[in-house]
Amino acid sequence: MEIDTQSPLPQGTVTIHVRHDLVSVDALLKTCYWFSRDFVCDVSRDSEKQSTVRLKPKAGSDHPLDEAQEQFMAAALDFALRERVTVQTLSVRDLLLAKAFSESGVLEEQPLGVFGDAVEEAKPDGMFKILSNS
Amino acid sequence: MRLTTAGLARNMKGAVVGRITTQDLPFHDRTEHIRFLPEGIEQSSDLSGYRAILSHDDVVTEFPVIERLRESDHFRDGDVIVMEGESGFVRSLYRPYERHHSMFVTERCSSNCLMCSQPPKDHDDVESLTKRNQELIGLMRPAPDYLTITGGEPTLLGDHLFQLIDQLSTALPTTELHVLTNGRTFAWPEYAQRFAAVGHPNICLGVPLYSDCAGDHDHIVQAKGAFDQTVAGLHQAARNGIRVEIRVVLHRLTIPRLAKLAEYIYRNLSFVEHVALMGLEYVGYTPRNIGELWIDPFDYQAELERAVNSLVMRGITVSIYNHQLCVLKPSLWPFAQKSISDWKNLYLPECERCSALAECGGLFKWAVKKHSEHIRAL
Amino acid sequence: MARSFYPAEHYAPEPQQVSLLPFRFARLSGQELLVNEAGEFLFAPEGTTQSLADGVVDVRSELYKDLKAKHIVFDDTSSPLLDVLATKIRTKYDHLSGGTKLHIFVVTLRCEHSCHYCQVSRQTATKGEFDMSEATADRSISLMLDSPSPHVTLELQGGEPLLAFDIIQYIVPRAKEQAQLRGKGLDIVVTTNLACATDEMLTYFRDEGVRVSTSLDGPAFLHNKNRPRPGNDSYERAIDGIERSRAILGFNNVAALMTTTAASLDHVEEIIEEYVRRDFHTIFLRPISPYGFALKTKTKTGYEMERFLEFYKKGLNHILAINRGGYRLTEIYSQILLSKILTPQGTGYVDLQSPAGQAWNVLVYNYNGDVFASDESRMLAEMQDWTFRLGNVHRDNRHSLFTSEAALNMFEVSCNQSLAGCSDCAFQSYCGADPIYHHATQGDMYGHRPTSGFCKRNMEVIKHLFAFINEDDPQTMGIFWAWLTGNPLPVQVAKCD
Repeated sequence: MEIDTQSPLPQGTVTIHVRHDLVSVDALLKTCYWFSRDFVCDVSRDSEKQSTVRLKPKAGSDHPLDEAQEQFMAAALDFALRERVTVQTLSVRDLLLAKAFSESGVLEEQPLGVFGDAVEEAKPDGMFKILSNS
Repeated sequence: MRLTTAGLARNMKGAVVGRITTQDLPFHDRTEHIRFLPEGIEQSSDLSGYRAILSHDDVVTEFPVIERLRESDHFRDGDVIVMEGESGFVRSLYRPYERHHSMFVTERCSSNCLMCSQPPKDHDDVESLTKRNQELIGLMRPAPDYLTITGGEPTLLGDHLFQLIDQLSTALPTTELHVLTNGRTFAWPEYAQRFAAVGHPNICLGVPLYSDCAGDHDHIVQAKGAFDQTVAGLHQAARNGIRVEIRVVLHRLTIPRLAKLAEYIYRNLSFVEHVALMGLEYVGYTPRNIGELWIDPFDYQAELERAVNSLVMRGITVSIYNHQLCVLKPSLWPFAQKSISDWKNLYLPECERCSALAECGGLFKWAVKKHSEHIRAL
Repeated sequence: MARSFYPAEHYAPEPQQVSLLPFRFARLSGQELLVNEAGEFLFAPEGTTQSLADGVVDVRSELYKDLKAKHIVFDDTSSPLLDVLATKIRTKYDHLSGGTKLHIFVVTLRCEHSCHYCQVSRQTATKGEFDMSEATADRSISLMLDSPSPHVTLELQGGEPLLAFDIIQYIVPRAKEQAQLRGKGLDIVVTTNLACATDEMLTYFRDEGVRVSTSLDGPAFLHNKNRPRPGNDSYERAIDGIERSRAILGFNNVAALMTTTAASLDHVEEIIEEYVRRDFHTIFLRPISPYGFALKTKTKTGYEMERFLEFYKKGLNHILAINRGGYRLTEIYSQILLSKILTPQGTGYVDLQSPAGQAWNVLVYNYNGDVFASDESRMLAEMQDWTFRLGNVHRDNRHSLFTSEAALNMFEVSCNQSLAGCSDCAFQSYCGADPIYHHATQGDMYGHRPTSGFCKRNMEVIKHLFAFINEDDPQTMGIFWAWLTGNPLPVQVAKCD
């Protein structure tokens, strides 16, 4: 899917329309953050569903303007993608970090599955039943 | 070298473990010994005081005896054997002159590897084998440098394994122990702690890991969840200061991802002290599954070299076992160990002319039926 | 009784659910670089991250197995082994345990050199005026050993520390005695230009087990240009000092570091050749310090960083060629980054840690007892910027130092996991945070990543190293691993088949 663009205006400004069903406000702002090295990013919220970004090259920057549009679009989609990954992994990441910084044994998982052979599993007081109760 | 034979048992209940002597020992020296009467020997001496009598021919005696042995030329003075009263079987347990020694603790196993050389049996032999091994430990002289504890799956012995290891640390304190285990039981922190608490000064686990991918490993060992348990077990072992080594049997199912397994070991199991890459043995379950497993070792040298280089570069010690020098790339020869147990060893006719014969480990005796197409004299 | 065998599908069924583990990504060389929470990476085809987010990766593919093995996905057929992953994450943060390990004692500000980039030295000062007093030394030793770390390193610095040799002779035995009493390991190193090192001093260091770290900026013309002194013989004295130090202390107890200046940037191969000529086996292509003069010309920072990166890349190529020829020469900056990328370990290098190593892992005790978060913060203080002065040994204890406003302000912006620009970065695990650098160059501890020299430098170097890793040339990787493990360089092997 595409982000609508207009061709560059004569003053050397690039205008990009960003749809928020593809790229959230946060993802858009992150993209602008990185582009602020070479461009002044003028962002305006057109509606609930769309914003417009005008990129104007900064003095001293040698970033090619014709590539900027494409690069901005690609970067914005990547930030949107990162957001999706972050959302899907937020809780397991918290759990991982909690485990990493907790004391040994405190937050550890119980071993899962069948451990013994048929002989051990048939015993009412088999060793794995004892281990799981300790 | 023959391991078992059988004969006619008389006056025996249960099993007798003892050390073979062909000599007419002074009475007070006889208590640990089994008097062996080889073929054609004249039976004239006094047979009292020994644990049992073992005879190639018929022998007249009221003492526990197994006579009319099928074969007996493999027995030597100093061998420790077990004589089974019910079946008349005689099994050699320990031969001081051999290079490799192992103690067999159970036929039970929680896995069922496609290439298992000792197919498991669901019969609880733990009590009887533990009793036998306790006797064996008392008779192992001179103390071997290394002893492999194997099965089946030794951890299924529960407390009995700890008792045996404890007994070994007292009776044979200088013997280094190598416990071959699938490592799965160690996933229980309590088990790993108890194992470490036995406090044997010189013990290492040999744990198989066949893939970096859980599904592939579980398929090879024929047990669901085995990969997760083994990796967790390795971590618990390391956390409790238990030394570990990883073993990989090389065949068609393990070769494709071997280099990735090397990387997995390095990143996830960096505490392992050694990785052993082992040739396939055409014994046990392997013949049955050979269609899935067979790849001529000559044909996987590129993958093997990649994996070895990957590990060595990262500072992990690697050894290659059970490969003939003629099928290995010369660059891998420094890693090849002369490892085949004495009783399994065999060389083919083309080996007789080979200049590398002295350095090469040879083949397993069952290799007669299946071996590389590329065996040749160097 | 006999057991059955089951096929592969029985053990690797089609998962009902595929879940993601946390990871970051970047686009490199036409591929995607995926990095997991423990810093493990995987090169994957373009579009992999999209497929992962959409949940449409083919679970029967080798790529899927790779993703699972690298802890980027998990499914319901196998546990994600979260505890193993958590252990790996913990290992990467090992630098946090134990607290401050490096303690820099500025025993004097006096120095007979007048190096361009140095803001601290006093050439004309009389003895005593800018020297560490015995009382300050005692308090500093005590504070050093208050660190929870079971082992600490004491670095004697200046100015030129040998000009205050008597103070060194006061500090060394007391530090050793106190360390032993308090059951801590102690390493001592003296950072000196060796210009006034006598054999007596070197013998003293040998007898006390003190190592020597000196400066060698390159061949004579460059070294002397960087380091003016009366007689303009800094280089000759440095070489003479190195030779005598090696003879007296032993080859392995003498190290050399270079300072990269604008003048150095066109001469990287000559600098490297000088190190080889002088039998050194490590070289640190350190970036130009932004402190001192460079700060006054902020607009040139970007250009200088480009030039530094050229310097570094050209230098690394030359160094690799030297290693291929059989001479072991480790480039330290690359080694630190490669260690973070390729090994399970973290790093002890304070400038590339997150949380930032300043204060946490290094403390600087100035001659007057002022305690700073790093050497650079001390230089800022010379320009009347006290932002990173944590306190003073005569007024503060460890607790008050680490809860001072200076420390707390810094800690707040010390974790790159939560900094704008860094929080999404694929290289987060390999990089660090440097609030002091950003304060000095941008006027803001938090830092503005897009214009940050720290960011640009690390990103470019990391990308450069990943290009080597992706190329996977056996000889280059063999050299890198020899650097990482300390094992011998790879032997040239003739190609067969």
